[in-house]
Amino acid sequence: MSKGGNIIEIHGLKKSYDDGKIKALNGLNLEVKRGEFLSIMGPSGSGKSTLLNMIGALDVADEGTIKVAGIDLMNTKELNEFRSQEIGFVFQMHNLIPNLTVLENVEIPMYETDLSSSQMHERAMDILKAVDLEDKADQIPTKLSGGQRQRVAIARALVNRPSIILADEPTGSLDSKTGDVILKLLSDLHEKENVTLVMVTHEPYVGKMAERIVNVLDGKIQN
Amino acid sequence: MSYLKLILKNPFRNKTRGALAIVGIAIGIMVIVALGMVTGGLKESTTSTLKAGAAEINVMQTGSSSMGSGRVNESRVTELQNISGVKETAGLLRATNTSTSGSSVGTSSTGAASGTTSMGSGGPNSFGGLSVTGMDPGKLSLAGIENVTGSLYSPTSENQVIIGKTVSTNLNKSVGDSVNLFGKDFTITGIFETGNFMTDAGVFMSLTTLQNLTSNKNTVSTIAVKINPDANTTEVSKSIETSYPNELSTTSAEAIAGRMNSALSTIDAATWAISLLAIVIGGVGVINTMIMSVFERTREIGVLKAVGWKERRILGMILGESVVLTLIAAVVGTIVAVVGVVVLLSLSFGGTIEPSFAPEIFLEAFVVAFVVGIIGGLYPAYRASRLSPTEALRYE
Repeated sequence: MSKGGNIIEIHGLKKSYDDGKIKALNGLNLEVKRGEFLSIMGPSGSGKSTLLNMIGALDVADEGTIKVAGIDLMNTKELNEFRSQEIGFVFQMHNLIPNLTVLENVEIPMYETDLSSSQMHERAMDILKAVDLEDKADQIPTKLSGGQRQRVAIARALVNRPSIILADEPTGSLDSKTGDVILKLLSDLHEKENVTLVMVTHEPYVGKMAERIVNVLDGKIQN
Repeated sequence: MSYLKLILKNPFRNKTRGALAIVGIAIGIMVIVALGMVTGGLKESTTSTLKAGAAEINVMQTGSSSMGSGRVNESRVTELQNISGVKETAGLLRATNTSTSGSSVGTSSTGAASGTTSMGSGGPNSFGGLSVTGMDPGKLSLAGIENVTGSLYSPTSENQVIIGKTVSTNLNKSVGDSVNLFGKDFTITGIFETGNFMTDAGVFMSLTTLQNLTSNKNTVSTIAVKINPDANTTEVSKSIETSYPNELSTTSAEAIAGRMNSALSTIDAATWAISLLAIVIGGVGVINTMIMSVFERTREIGVLKAVGWKERRILGMILGESVVLTLIAAVVGTIVAVVGVVVLLSLSFGGTIEPSFAPEIFLEAFVVAFVVGIIGGLYPAYRASRLSPTEALRYE
């Protein structure tokens, strides 16, 4: 797969909490190419999840520059729109809405788009087919296995056709066998959809599936 | 799935909590609708006493404790016609048929101008307690009786009556049937409806017949006075009282209706006070329900923000859920109130009070429910919309 220019450009990014006592990011620099599969590794508290939240515009940095998909996140107020159009999140916990069906859960991100109900339905069914859950569309998440729920979460992350998937410990709550299936699915979708995949993990064998690994320690990239 | 469908679905995730919130607010709505229907019905009835054609002034014995409880010599009926401004007069004798078995007991006679007086003791579900008025059939318009299905009784008949619609319904009597009053059988020649709940719960017969039955010969309890169009009610009333000092007193129908409306206004105010209390309690319930719901769904709200939902969409969702709860409560409260009022009024008052089904009563209830929904949902919705996505996603 051909890689384009940088889709993520981060320079001197700083973020602290608790009135500056906790420095989560401490002048971090990172560049990610469009279509790349990157693993961010590091011990607990190293700042890897904070970094992911900054890339996904869930949080705002104190200092530095961060440009994602051509958008300067330090100077834009339309962060919701940015997340809706450019980012797909996969969390450790699937975070599906329990009273909605699988299909309805996948449709949720499309509410901020101009798609009609039938278009939303059609697109959600297509993506469920891609994660092999077409037959579970009308079930509620509590009836699914852990792996199936995470596949629904991946479908939800992909349904708006984002340019970047941000996965925070996507296999953390799964057994190793199911985790492998999810990783394979993410990897395949990354290839097939030409989507940039940034995955946070502390499991070395998971990290090795990526094309590139960066290690974060004390809020900085080590390699 | 549409956004609206999501809003409709969400309040029932926790069915018990949703149901309790609905019950809480439904009680408030029920109070508003039920009291509105009863007071509205009474107001409509009061208004009908002022209809054109009915007597404007009721004349009775001075010092009588309540209107019609005294006795007036029948000769005054003719004499009052000579007073300036008086167009027409009619003597009425009113008695209460206290017999429940058909035997004549009619010793307690009271008098009043029909259409504005209170009914005798007991309800018209039984023969006992029926309010019976003796009056010249040609003067029935002064009692507000304009339309009679069937025919009027004859002025000289001793066994004919006309009955009010409420009596007809409650006793299941129609034209041609007989009814036993004071131990004597009467044939029903007609059924009338005035819109006044007290008049419609009564029976009318020849004045002479009732005088004979109740041993009140040449006596009436009230004289109904219709005045000329250009005459003034107050002036005519004063003339009557001046002409018969210490004997006759007057009360205008307008004054009676005014007093009733004043009393109903007090009931209205009490209704609103009770309703307000119920709404506040229900509103607090809605706030509590929605805050709990937002707390429980903190992570979920974090996800919605992560997938790009704008603050106003989250605000709209929570507010919408709150309004859904209160509007369902409005439907439940209204149904319970309508059924309850209809059943209770027919059981307790024998159908004499017709509940009002004025659209504004129901509109008011739904507006109140909507406003409570908005106010109750506002803070939880604002709180949800302002949640930091990272904190919300970390929430345990």
